Amino acid sequence: MTAESTLTAAPAPGAAQAPPPLDRTPPTAGRKRRPAWDEVPRWQIYLPLGIYLVFTLVPFYWILLFAVRPAGSTSLLPWPMTTDHFEKVWTERSFGVFFQNSLLIGVAVLVMTTVVALAGGYALARFDFRIKKGFMLALLCSQFVPGALLLVPLFQIFAELRMINSLGSVIIAETVFQLPLSMILISGFIRNVPYSLEEAAWVDGCNRFSAFRIVVLPLLRPGLVAVGSFAFVHAWNHFLFALMFLSSQSKQTIPVGLNTLMGADSVDLGALAAGGVIAAVPVVIVFAFIQKWLVTGFSAGAVKG
Amino acid sequence: MTIFPGGRRRAAVALALSGVLALTATACGDDGSGAGGDKGTEGSGKGKITFWDNNGGVRTDVWKEIIADFEKANPDIDVEYVGVASKEVQSKYDTAIQGGALPDVGGVGAAMLAGIAAQDALEPLDARVEDSALKGKLNTGMVDSVKAAGGQDKLFTVPTSASNGVLYYRTDLFKAAGLAEPTTWSAFYAAAEKLTARDKNRFGYTIRGGAGSIAQALDAMYGQSGITDFWNGDKTTVNDPKNVAALEKYAGLFKRTTPAADVNNDFTKMVAQWDSGEIGMLNHNLGSYQDHVKALGTEKFRGIPNPTLDDGTRVQVSNPVDGLGLFSTSKNKAAAWKFIEFAASHESNSKWNKSAGAIPANTEAAKDAWLQEAEPTKLAADVLFSGKAAIVQLPYYLPDWNTISKADNEAGFQKVLLGKATAKEFLDALAEQLNAAQAEWKQQKK
Repeated sequence: MTAESTLTAAPAPGAAQAPPPLDRTPPTAGRKRRPAWDEVPRWQIYLPLGIYLVFTLVPFYWILLFAVRPAGSTSLLPWPMTTDHFEKVWTERSFGVFFQNSLLIGVAVLVMTTVVALAGGYALARFDFRIKKGFMLALLCSQFVPGALLLVPLFQIFAELRMINSLGSVIIAETVFQLPLSMILISGFIRNVPYSLEEAAWVDGCNRFSAFRIVVLPLLRPGLVAVGSFAFVHAWNHFLFALMFLSSQSKQTIPVGLNTLMGADSVDLGALAAGGVIAAVPVVIVFAFIQKWLVTGFSAGAVKG
Repeated sequence: MTIFPGGRRRAAVALALSGVLALTATACGDDGSGAGGDKGTEGSGKGKITFWDNNGGVRTDVWKEIIADFEKANPDIDVEYVGVASKEVQSKYDTAIQGGALPDVGGVGAAMLAGIAAQDALEPLDARVEDSALKGKLNTGMVDSVKAAGGQDKLFTVPTSASNGVLYYRTDLFKAAGLAEPTTWSAFYAAAEKLTARDKNRFGYTIRGGAGSIAQALDAMYGQSGITDFWNGDKTTVNDPKNVAALEKYAGLFKRTTPAADVNNDFTKMVAQWDSGEIGMLNHNLGSYQDHVKALGTEKFRGIPNPTLDDGTRVQVSNPVDGLGLFSTSKNKAAAWKFIEFAASHESNSKWNKSAGAIPANTEAAKDAWLQEAEPTKLAADVLFSGKAAIVQLPYYLPDWNTISKADNEAGFQKVLLGKATAKEFLDALAEQLNAAQAEWKQQKK
């Protein structure tokens, strides 16, 4: 079997599939026919969506409002507009440095999680070994252990390794906590790629690694985007490890910095809102770009195991 | 089939991977602080020390200024400033104690002092203060307060500042309603009723129902009941019938003269809605004064001490005194102490408290001109040091105090506000926990 024929026979995960034909059979007695999509009045679709959007967007509007209106203003419109709060958090509160640190941690966790999860996921999908089921179970169970529970042991380990107050400690801890779910997800994606594709590549002269790289890897793109973006966003937002393992101002991350904007007895709401906007922007941009692949990736991974 | 197409891409991927791995492997660092179980050393009095600010962010600027002054005066010592958010500082200290990476110096409020001192993490400072320029310069009330809070009759922190409960009220709304200053509890309740116009979204008062509600409720209870001691023998007075009646009356304000959303109010929400809405009164401490000034200016509000009884009797609960502690694992205690001494000196202490709007612990700083001009701070200092107010000393020395007065009972207070529990049920449960904690503490002291 050639690679081409296999591709024809089994669509790649993530490939667009034709929607099932609409059920236009007349309703039978005693069974109410569900109206087709195009028969539903538009307001029944857009009204709930609109209400949902209002609930979702109003908090964002509120944050933006506080971020751009001058201190002391009670206007409900972002006018007159000021960038004072952004300037304050970016320079005086060192959010420029925090942003760089968060970005570095996020990208490093993304790369390490994706690479290691690919290797582990491939092994889980393609090889049978004696403790495979137990290993999978252990991976699943590890998801039930909260990070806070392992805080002190991890702290002691990193202290022994003289890695407290280094970005490396957070990168390693975050990667380790991301790996189980990422490996399970990736293994699901790899299982969806027919094994015969790889076999065909071997016949054409590839070894296992090159067959994986040339034939399987491109088909995993939606899955990799899903896993990678999840890893990035989680690392970007995660607070606990950064708070505990990093001390120097020059090493802190955005979530930790945001927390310091809330004092024991006073809060600069404008600065807090501006910090919140800075924290949210990369995540929103990431999701805006990868939204299509993300949905495709997760649905592809969920089809079958 | 090409086995390795795109050599440049492969090289880029390899480079990126190597970079990430190298970054992880080499980004090792150390904050230079002590390890767990380490007894620390006096050190040379030179070199680098680490300082954790327990209210990082908000006070970062003034600390950096003080550190710059210190480094100028002590060019051999380098202070690394670490700002820790106030909400997280307790867990950060606890983890650092267990994991062994404490700083040399840290800000430690009285509310968490007992818990940290109980883990032998702090060096007693009595002898160092006696031998230093700070001798006789620290407010004795605050020194006694932190000694009591430490739970071992030792001075574990050098006090730097104190706050106090303040009743902020909108002078413009009071004037428009023809109301006099709410100096007594009777006037307070009358004003709360008169200023409320729910249909116009105007309220007389905003109550703290979320995080931090217990301390505020205790202040209101003891202030109205006139009970001046937290303990009657080994039993707490929180569930004394007079306190129960006071809490019932106070909680009765909820929804009648306050917004319904107050049930979830932490201080942030409470202060934000007072600053941006039309609410007559707010109870908070001195710390939010500058926020009100930013939002309302100085003309529209005043901050006065909490109300008195009708006969002028003033009872209030103690506010935690903030201070600087020297951690026992420090490998440079001499330099760390120099920094503490400098930070608690007249000039630095005055600078810090002026910025925070708090009451200085340094008696010379307390005489500075700025204090006379900052009205709420001056009034609070007058109350604290006049000897005319009875201060109910809260049991900060109990290692469980922080938990009992916060997470364990805040939901119970919300039930009282919502009418799902009575004030008596809530206070009886609180009293039971306090009595047990007190008994346990006494047992441990034997």
